[in-house]
Amino acid sequence: MSDDGVLDPGHFHLDEKSFRFCCQSFLQHSDLLSDGWSWTEVKGSEGFMKKTVLRPRRNSPLKTEALDFMTEEEKVEEEEEEDAQVECEKQDVVVYEYHVLYSSSYQVPVLYFTASTLDGRLLSLEEVWNSVHPDCRTQLLNEPWNTLTQQEHPVLGQPFFMLHPCRTEEFMQPILETARREKRRINYVVTWLSVVGPMVRLVVPVSYCTVPDQNRV
Amino acid sequence: MADDKDVLRDVWFGRIPTCFTLYPDEVTEREAEPFYLLLPRVSYLTLVTDKVKKHFLKVVKTEDVGEMWFEYEGTPLKWHYPIGVLFDLHASNTALPWSVTVHFKAFPERDILHCSSSSVIEAHFMSSIKEADALKHKGQVINDMQKKDHKQLWMGLQNADKFDQFWAMNRKLMEYPTEEGGFRYIPFRIYQTMSDRPFIQKLFRPVSPEGHVLTLGDLLKEMFPAAICQDDEPKKYQVVIHGIEPLFETPIQWLSEHLSHPDNFLHICIIPSPSD
Repeated sequence: MSDDGVLDPGHFHLDEKSFRFCCQSFLQHSDLLSDGWSWTEVKGSEGFMKKTVLRPRRNSPLKTEALDFMTEEEKVEEEEEEDAQVECEKQDVVVYEYHVLYSSSYQVPVLYFTASTLDGRLLSLEEVWNSVHPDCRTQLLNEPWNTLTQQEHPVLGQPFFMLHPCRTEEFMQPILETARREKRRINYVVTWLSVVGPMVRLVVPVSYCTVPDQNRV
Repeated sequence: MADDKDVLRDVWFGRIPTCFTLYPDEVTEREAEPFYLLLPRVSYLTLVTDKVKKHFLKVVKTEDVGEMWFEYEGTPLKWHYPIGVLFDLHASNTALPWSVTVHFKAFPERDILHCSSSSVIEAHFMSSIKEADALKHKGQVINDMQKKDHKQLWMGLQNADKFDQFWAMNRKLMEYPTEEGGFRYIPFRIYQTMSDRPFIQKLFRPVSPEGHVLTLGDLLKEMFPAAICQDDEPKKYQVVIHGIEPLFETPIQWLSEHLSHPDNFLHICIIPSPSD
C-alpha cells in the first residue's frame, strides 16, 4: 500500500524517497557548476533545496503584455543582457531566495520563494506578478489566484510566494510519457524545475538534463 | 444519524466572544473605545472584522492607516488560520472575552500574510479545500465540481446562515467508496505554540493495512507521541479540536467527516495542560 520508488505507469507524481534521490543528484550537479544550491535537513527525515539569486528589477505590468514566442536560449540571453546593462542601485536589485520542497498532499515538488530589495523590503504580490516573464503568463493571466500567491512556508512558518502544485502532474504527464516510451530516464525535479523556474526568473542550465547518472526515475 | 448532524451544526455555529482594543501607540484624535464582537470559529479574521475596522477608523488619523492586523499578547495573529484555531492555540484556558489588539501600522510582513482583498481569502480557502480533496480523493471530487459549485462553498462560508447551502456541496467532499472504509488520506494539521515548525502535516490513512479503523490516539501516537501519557503520569498536554478534547478512541475518519473546518481540514491544537 505504501508508495515506493517505482513510478506507476499511470501516475505522474513523485514519492518522497524519489524526491530526495532526485535532489541529491541535482545538488551533485549544482556543486559541479557552482550553481549555488544547498540542502537544508529538517527533523523527521524531510528536507528542501534552496538557492539565493540577485536579479535586476523587472517591472512589466500584467495587463499590457503581449505573448511572444522565445526559445529557452533566447530567454537566458535576454536575462544575461539585462544583468549587464542595469546599474546596481539598491532599489534596482531584487534578492530571490528559492526553496524546493516536497508536497505530500500533491506528491510533487513545490517551488517557494521570497523576493526583497537590498534594503530589506519584501516585494508585494502585485510586484511579483508584474515580474513574471511575459512568455510564462498564460496561466497567470487566466487564474492568478490559483497560480502564484503568498503562502506560509510549511517548515519556516514565514510568508513566501508559492507556485501552486495542483497542475504539476498535468504538465509533467506528456514529458514523462514520452520519456518512458523512449526508455529515457529523467530526473523529475530537474524537468519540473526547468518548466516552472523561468516563470519566476529561476534559470536551470541545460547541462542539468544531459548529465547521465544513477539517481534517475 | 441525527446526532451526527447536530455535531455539524454545533461546529458551524461555534462562536468566540472577542474584545478588540486599539494598540495604544496608534495615534488617535480621541480615545478609542473597545469593540465587542462574536467571532465565528470556522471563519477567518479578515473576513469578519469589517465592523472592527470601521469602528477604529473613526478615531485613527487617515494618513496613519495601513493594512489592519491583529495581535494577541505580542504575537501577530495569522489571519489565514481559522479563528477557532487561533483561539484554541493561544488563549484556550484564559478568561473570556478573548482580548485582541488591533493595529494599523508596522505590518509584520515577515510573520503574517497580506490580505489586500476578499479574493485573497477566497483563494486561500479554496486552495485548502483542493488540497484536502487531493488527500481524500486524489482531487477527483473537487475537479469534477463546476466553478459555480466552488462558489457555493465560498458563499456558504461568508454567510453564517448558509449552513445548508454549504453542506449541500460539502457532503460530496465527505463521501468515499464503501469498500475503502474511509478517505485515502486524512487532511489534518497539528499546531503547537512551542514548536519551530508552524504545523505538522503528514500522510495518514484512516484504516490500517489489516483493516482496523484508526483513532485519534493512533494519529497522535505517530505524529505527536508526547500527547499520549502513561496511566500514572499527570497529563502534560491537552488535544483540542473546536474547543473540546475528543476521546482518543474516536475514529479519525469520523473526526474528519464531522469536526473538520469548512476548509475540509481537521485542525488539531496541542496545548500545555493548565498547571492548576
